[in-house]
Amino acid sequence: MATQIEDQLRARARALLAEGTVELFVGYRQGSNPLRVAPFVARTPAEAERLVWNAVCVPNLAGTLLKHVGKRVGVALKGCDVRSVVQLISQRQLERGRLHIVGVACRGMADPEQLAAVAGESVDDLAQDGNELLLSVGAELSRHPQDGLLLAKCATCTSQTPELYDELLGEAAPAAPVADRLAGVRALESLDAPGRLAFWSEQLSKCTLCYACQTVCPLCYCKQCPLTLSRDDPRRQTREPASVFSYHIMRAYHLAGRCTGCDECERVCPENIPLSLICRKIEQDGSPR
Amino acid sequence: MEATFEPKILGMLCSWCAYAGADTAGVSRTQYPPNIRIVRVMCSGRIDPLFIARAFESGADGVLVAGCHSGDCHYISGNEYAKDRITSFGGMLDFFGIDQRRLKLAWVSASEGTRFAAVVAEMTEELRALGPLKLKVQ
Repeated sequence: MATQIEDQLRARARALLAEGTVELFVGYRQGSNPLRVAPFVARTPAEAERLVWNAVCVPNLAGTLLKHVGKRVGVALKGCDVRSVVQLISQRQLERGRLHIVGVACRGMADPEQLAAVAGESVDDLAQDGNELLLSVGAELSRHPQDGLLLAKCATCTSQTPELYDELLGEAAPAAPVADRLAGVRALESLDAPGRLAFWSEQLSKCTLCYACQTVCPLCYCKQCPLTLSRDDPRRQTREPASVFSYHIMRAYHLAGRCTGCDECERVCPENIPLSLICRKIEQDGSPR
Repeated sequence: MEATFEPKILGMLCSWCAYAGADTAGVSRTQYPPNIRIVRVMCSGRIDPLFIARAFESGADGVLVAGCHSGDCHYISGNEYAKDRITSFGGMLDFFGIDQRRLKLAWVSASEGTRFAAVVAEMTEELRALGPLKLKVQ
């Protein structure tokens, strides 16, 4: 199934680049190990052969598109990435006319961390057979149903089929029952204020102010950020708790009305701080004027 | 230490109503606690929640935002924006476990000197009971 989409995707990318419809084609290439993919920009039909599409195409390509504004760009997007792109178009950061969106119907992406945990050792190859993932470690092959290994955000996804595309690859998946997106927020809100403060104090004490959450966010497109402390700022060097609180509160607040819930911030956080909770809280409250 | 805790309040007052109200309080020699430090802004709608976050970050125990009564805004609707923003930002602070009473929104007109004094006195008492804002891991 996935390999079929991969073939179709390469063929389409090749054709679009060859006929000059697009100057660039943005997709994924194989990353540093079989469980990782990295954003990739193909500039020639030959380079399109390096594109991959598998069960771990997790990164959001909307951010990559921002680096190629002004060019005619083709891009392969899953439903959640399309939501970010739609938001960027409505914020006038991307031009719809210069985008050729190849939407890919998605049944959820597997979580590389969970896959690594299931395999136990470094995985040598990842393949897909229907709804099963095949992990090879050395000569051993193990089968795992993909549904049990999905990313947390995929459990609450309502855009298996992208809402905007020029062409669609794959079959639209039937709508699956959706878990409650805001359950985590409600659980935290049921605690008393000191409880919440203790929770966040513990979580945010891990924050090193590396700003990866901000760098990866496709909707954080300001050229200069009033929240970023310079590298030699004493507040950043000492990880001043009040500054960390203030950064995280304001980061979410600035994203109010723009955040599409792609959870990239949480994925890239080296300290595994549950940043998506803050985004969900903003989603629950709605954005102020 | 507990007995002598004096909260620090940052007051952001709109130039047309609340700041003039504070002035009225001063001119009419109304007594109010010296815990408040006042910043004059042209409109309560000018107050970015970032100012409030920075105030807490810099050691304020409470922030008072005061502007014109609804319908009295010099810029027609700035105070309505302020109301939206401060309310939703208060919800955000609450989510992080920071007591919402540390951020107060009040409407004070230019003639309400006594009301301004009462608001500051009430807030100081509340913050004195709440204690200092500590964001460090206990």
